[in-house]
Amino acid sequence: MGSLALLTVLFAPFFGAIALIFVPNREALMVRMVAAASAGLALLASAYVFVSYDPNVGGFQFKTHWTWSEELGIAFYIGVDGIGAPLVFVSALLLFAGIFVSWHIKDRTKEFYIFLLILAAATIGVFMSLDLFFLYFFYEMSVLPMYLLLGVWGSHTKGYLGMTDPEGLKLRDSTKFFFNFGANSKEYAAMKLTLFLSAGAVFALMGILLIYHFSPVHTFDILVLREQAKFDGLLGNIIWLLIFFGFASIAPIWPLHSWSPVGHAAAPAATSMLHAGVLMKLGHFSIIRVAFEIMPEITRELMPIAAVLCVFSIIYGGFVSYYARDTKYIIGYSSSSHMGYIFLGMAALDYISLTGAVIYMFAHALATGMLFAMAGWIYDQTHSRDIPSLGGLAQKMPFLAGAFLVACMASIGMPGTINFIAEVMIIVGSWEKYPFQVIVAVLGIVLTLAYLFKMMRGLFYGKLSPEFEHVRDTSQWVDRMPLLLMISASIFFGIFPMHFYNVVRSTVEPMLDRINQVAPAIAQNTAGIFP
Amino acid sequence: MTFDLTLSASDLLLLAPEIFLTLWLCVVLAVDFSFKNIDHENLAYLSVGGIIATLINLIWFNYIGVHGALFNDTFVLDGMAIFFKIIIVLSTALVLLMSIDYVKSFRFFRGEYYFLVMMSALGMMFMASAQDLLSVFVTLEFSTFGFYVLVAYLREDERSSEAGLKFFILGVFVAGLLTYGISLVYGETGTFVFSEMGVTSGSYGLAIGFIMIFAALGFKIGAVPFHSWIPDTYQGAPTPITAFLSIAPKAAAFAILIRMFYVALITFKPMWVLLFVVASIVSMTYGNIVAIAQKNIKRLLAYSGIAQIGTVMIGLAAGTKRGSDAILFFLLSYLFANLGAFAVIVGVSNLIKSDEIEDYNGLNRRSPFLAAAMLLFLLSLAGVPPLAGFIGKIYIFLAAIEQELYTLLIVGLINIVISLYYYLIVVKKMYINEPTDPSPLTVSAPLKTAICVCIAGTLLLGIYPKPFIDWAVSATLMFSNIVAPTAAVPALPSLVGG
Repeated sequence: MGSLALLTVLFAPFFGAIALIFVPNREALMVRMVAAASAGLALLASAYVFVSYDPNVGGFQFKTHWTWSEELGIAFYIGVDGIGAPLVFVSALLLFAGIFVSWHIKDRTKEFYIFLLILAAATIGVFMSLDLFFLYFFYEMSVLPMYLLLGVWGSHTKGYLGMTDPEGLKLRDSTKFFFNFGANSKEYAAMKLTLFLSAGAVFALMGILLIYHFSPVHTFDILVLREQAKFDGLLGNIIWLLIFFGFASIAPIWPLHSWSPVGHAAAPAATSMLHAGVLMKLGHFSIIRVAFEIMPEITRELMPIAAVLCVFSIIYGGFVSYYARDTKYIIGYSSSSHMGYIFLGMAALDYISLTGAVIYMFAHALATGMLFAMAGWIYDQTHSRDIPSLGGLAQKMPFLAGAFLVACMASIGMPGTINFIAEVMIIVGSWEKYPFQVIVAVLGIVLTLAYLFKMMRGLFYGKLSPEFEHVRDTSQWVDRMPLLLMISASIFFGIFPMHFYNVVRSTVEPMLDRINQVAPAIAQNTAGIFP
Repeated sequence: MTFDLTLSASDLLLLAPEIFLTLWLCVVLAVDFSFKNIDHENLAYLSVGGIIATLINLIWFNYIGVHGALFNDTFVLDGMAIFFKIIIVLSTALVLLMSIDYVKSFRFFRGEYYFLVMMSALGMMFMASAQDLLSVFVTLEFSTFGFYVLVAYLREDERSSEAGLKFFILGVFVAGLLTYGISLVYGETGTFVFSEMGVTSGSYGLAIGFIMIFAALGFKIGAVPFHSWIPDTYQGAPTPITAFLSIAPKAAAFAILIRMFYVALITFKPMWVLLFVVASIVSMTYGNIVAIAQKNIKRLLAYSGIAQIGTVMIGLAAGTKRGSDAILFFLLSYLFANLGAFAVIVGVSNLIKSDEIEDYNGLNRRSPFLAAAMLLFLLSLAGVPPLAGFIGKIYIFLAAIEQELYTLLIVGLINIVISLYYYLIVVKKMYINEPTDPSPLTVSAPLKTAICVCIAGTLLLGIYPKPFIDWAVSATLMFSNIVAPTAAVPALPSLVGG
């Protein structure tokens, strides 16, 4: 039953996308209903998976194993552990919410939903892959739909950022494209995102192939590799760095973050939600799944790199957010800054902090999902993301203003939301090992408070410009439901976190035991290959 | 040497697909000449029928495992030969299907077109079975003759004539090169048959001879630095012929390359590995970088084809059984993706009479089917899961990493990202840009069939490749005793230690 539910989570969006191909494009309501139905099915199944994951047993549950090719040692092997289960759940939740957030898309609705469903399904696939090949398979598959989602349904960043050639019209087709850093057209954002993430992905692939080659059994099975593969020395370090930086580029860790705010800003609301909410967590998740599981000793030695870089992520992202004028840039950089917390929680290699990091992935997905959904609504209504030109919107959008306040509170880590629990756990858990980083992180929270309130004030209070007299609040249930869904999830788990905590802890504990207490590595298979 | 030409009926069975196709060729030609007023479309279906019958014959041969050699080992029918023949025949069928509308624009010789396509296919089928240098020469020229005519088939088009002339002159030059190389090798070894050469000691004559043969085959597959005919010929030739050129002769030439290097020259593996490493790196990088600047979709695919061939050569550089398996699988995946992309180009150019990438603006609004198909094929060429090209590339890279060819691997992986850029530029034109002329485009039934077959192949090979991988593995069983060289490949700059 459980494994069937897990398969449903993965394949419902895929089959939804396939079904959509056969729905005529003019039947827009039908298209939306099919998309919503498949996402709803995935959400129900993922909730079942999350609830019925047994923390007393731990490990990988609901496994399905189908041999895919004996010749290459690949199997379609899925299952979730305590880290995968909540992330699968939140992905399905954000997909479901995203379908309703983009309910009013008129241009090529069918294609939009097809790509959105493929994106979400591929993301979900990464969270449940127990085979390195399929992990990469779904990872790369989730990157490509982003190109079209951004490029076709995205929006240009207007000239108010003071960049040259703002629409990128002159250069966007030429070979000088790469050097046109000033461009902030959606095409530029889409291309930058895709190439950046694909470049990261091929480095990770290099690492995966090296793991395959140097493991005693030629297999991609993570569970087998975890038991049998031993990496150390130069080779191990190279593989670890390839895996870490390959996957961290999507996380995104400083200095590999530059694609992310541009991408967030250009993307349509639902895509930003999925992108910031779950796509970025693919990075952390894949690092945990590959580097932490397969190479525990090297993780212990090299993880301080993340502790160093996360400081820059937190500070840099925070300050840019403070000075940015564009709503989506602010939320984008704030996400990029908050990803630093997850890296901090991972770097400390402590039960509490790593559990906190996993819970933070979940919490941040909800908080940033809400913020992007509402920024998208405001953009749809006003066709502007430039905060100084907006203001006073609370008069016209009382519901949205209230929801926005809750989202800001969640993002800051207000007690009562799941974010609070996650942040406290990260800070408490890493204090012993990285006190400096913890101080920076706490200052980062203050900074978050500052820029979110600044944005809140700029958007909703003050004088309403006469050109925005026509804007309207979210009044239909399709518009309010996704926001309420995310808010209630955030608050529900904030008040009743114990099952969630137990689920994560059941996986984190044995993993950290392996990382922190393992005996010095015995070089067997790699001996003689590298001095 | 003496030739034993006594043939039994069971020997002729090995030649059944070729004999059948030859007879069918004559039938098509006879029908064309006897019924002056016959619609060329019916002729096309007649040809496709014959090709499909040949395909079924080959699949049946593969299923029951018909193997053997004829004419003193000059013609061999083994698993690999059948695999390549199926690739060639399948591509011929798809090319014939996508030609039907295109041929309407010809003013003369519509019937002969199908005859020539099938004749080239016949030549290439023999090429896939060639096991000695003489048959290499004969079959290679046999298959190329048809192409000389076909490339220049658009009589009113200057580009087509230019392409034909360029292809002809260079092709004839290469034929000379090939003959010279063969004569040198024969002089050194005293035999034409690969398996009898057993080359153990090198000499300059032998080396120069094989390099000349390699150059001739490199011309066929379009590897750098023998690629210069490719862009112009691709651009000028009738698009279905470009599609045909882009896969079938390359596959056939790879059959010869694999046999030559795996059988005749296995003792010199460290040397030719180096040759393929360099050729592969140069081809991939050159093809991908030059493709970025292209404005014509056929030229873009020409350069991307050069890069893809570079990727295929990684398999040869690995020089193992898995390398050859990977080549077979990759070529099959390349067949669907590349022929599919050309089928879309045929569809578009039939309607808007242009191959400029600029004219693909807003294709998604004009024909969602064509745009979606093109998206799928381009992403498969780029190597994006869950499409065939991804599995093909991974397979090739696995073969490379087993031989610890790190340099090749890194270059290959980086090239995936480079190639993604120019494929995505086309995707951008189709999906993001607005069309200048928003009138919808319609696709004819035969073309739609060809595109659907390619879509099905691209998805099937990507999602469920197991039977095809197993097929490739069993097709190259005769290479399973190839010994990997004991020392690592010499003089290879590898990244980490090694």
